[in-house]
Amino acid sequence: MSTALSIQNLNYKRNRQVILHDGQLTLSTGKIVGLLGENGAGKTTLMRLITGNAQGQGVIKVGDSSDVMHRKQKTSFSDHLKGFDKSTKINQVVKFYQTVYPDFSNDRYQEMATFLQLDASQKLTALSKGTKEKLIIALTLARQTELYLLDEPFSGIDSMSRKQVISSILKWTPDNATLLISDHYVHEIASLLDEIVVVKDQTIAVHKGADEIRDQLGVEIEDYYESLYEVGGAADDK
Amino acid sequence: MKFDDKVPIYYQIKTHLYHEMLNGQLTAGAQLPPVRQLAVDLTVNVNTVQRALGEMITEGTLTSQRGKGNFVTTDTTRLAQLKDQLVMAQLAQTYDQLHAFNLTDAEILTSLKQYIEKRGIAQ
Repeated sequence: MSTALSIQNLNYKRNRQVILHDGQLTLSTGKIVGLLGENGAGKTTLMRLITGNAQGQGVIKVGDSSDVMHRKQKTSFSDHLKGFDKSTKINQVVKFYQTVYPDFSNDRYQEMATFLQLDASQKLTALSKGTKEKLIIALTLARQTELYLLDEPFSGIDSMSRKQVISSILKWTPDNATLLISDHYVHEIASLLDEIVVVKDQTIAVHKGADEIRDQLGVEIEDYYESLYEVGGAADDK
Repeated sequence: MKFDDKVPIYYQIKTHLYHEMLNGQLTAGAQLPPVRQLAVDLTVNVNTVQRALGEMITEGTLTSQRGKGNFVTTDTTRLAQLKDQLVMAQLAQTYDQLHAFNLTDAEILTSLKQYIEKRGIAQ
């Protein structure tokens, strides 16, 4: 199995404060990976470092390339639609994606937009939290690439929207693509995941197979995750 | 489908499919939905479905036809064997639990008979 993402000796500081230190991670192709950690642990920062939207020290490779331009090209990440004016309409955002990303498939986008009931004429400012997350999923997965990053797509959305978002991920993530999906609440996505990665104590503390946790430890992913935060709990064994 | 998150998901998918094979929802030779469709229906990822199906193909309860998909085996002997295995596993669990209540084998048999008779009347 080939490597989708590799991170070596990653260090990142902001205002002289250490956000991430000595980060190591290798993800194989074709996996759905949960990126877990408390609010403010550095999950979003890690995603921005992967795409080069934030600059740290160390080596990050997407596929076999560490070049920032290549990393951006090979990674689909919508970063909460940062940079779009609130009065932008959905169809204008879609046009932008079509122009900027050669791998953006309008057919795939339209299929998802129909499934998720997105109204192209709506302005970003008029979107509910759930609709905005649906739009982000459709835009992100409409690109056909090797690595997808989804940053907390379930935070603050209702359960119907959540189900639709989960179905979209399962339906439209291409074979052999790797998807890294962050959440601070693992229970609702546990059945989706091949592996979990936990960001804790300013580093990538844990990387484990989901069924490995169930098989070898006989515990729920959520319980395992919580045990990492108990004093004297599971050690940060990689 | 609801999963018990303590048990490996691939294992639960196998159990789920076994039950469909034994209760007649999936008959001998029936075609399974495409892997991705199963993944969406069960809300699990494609790799997990593939792992479950792969193990079932290896053990001979499913067959895979290149370009066509996956099918329940037409080998009825294999299916009968599977049924025996599952029945035995279920009985073993029940027996162990009753045994833990300090019931003798004779008492277990009597209780079971009574239960079946009662159920027969109730229905």
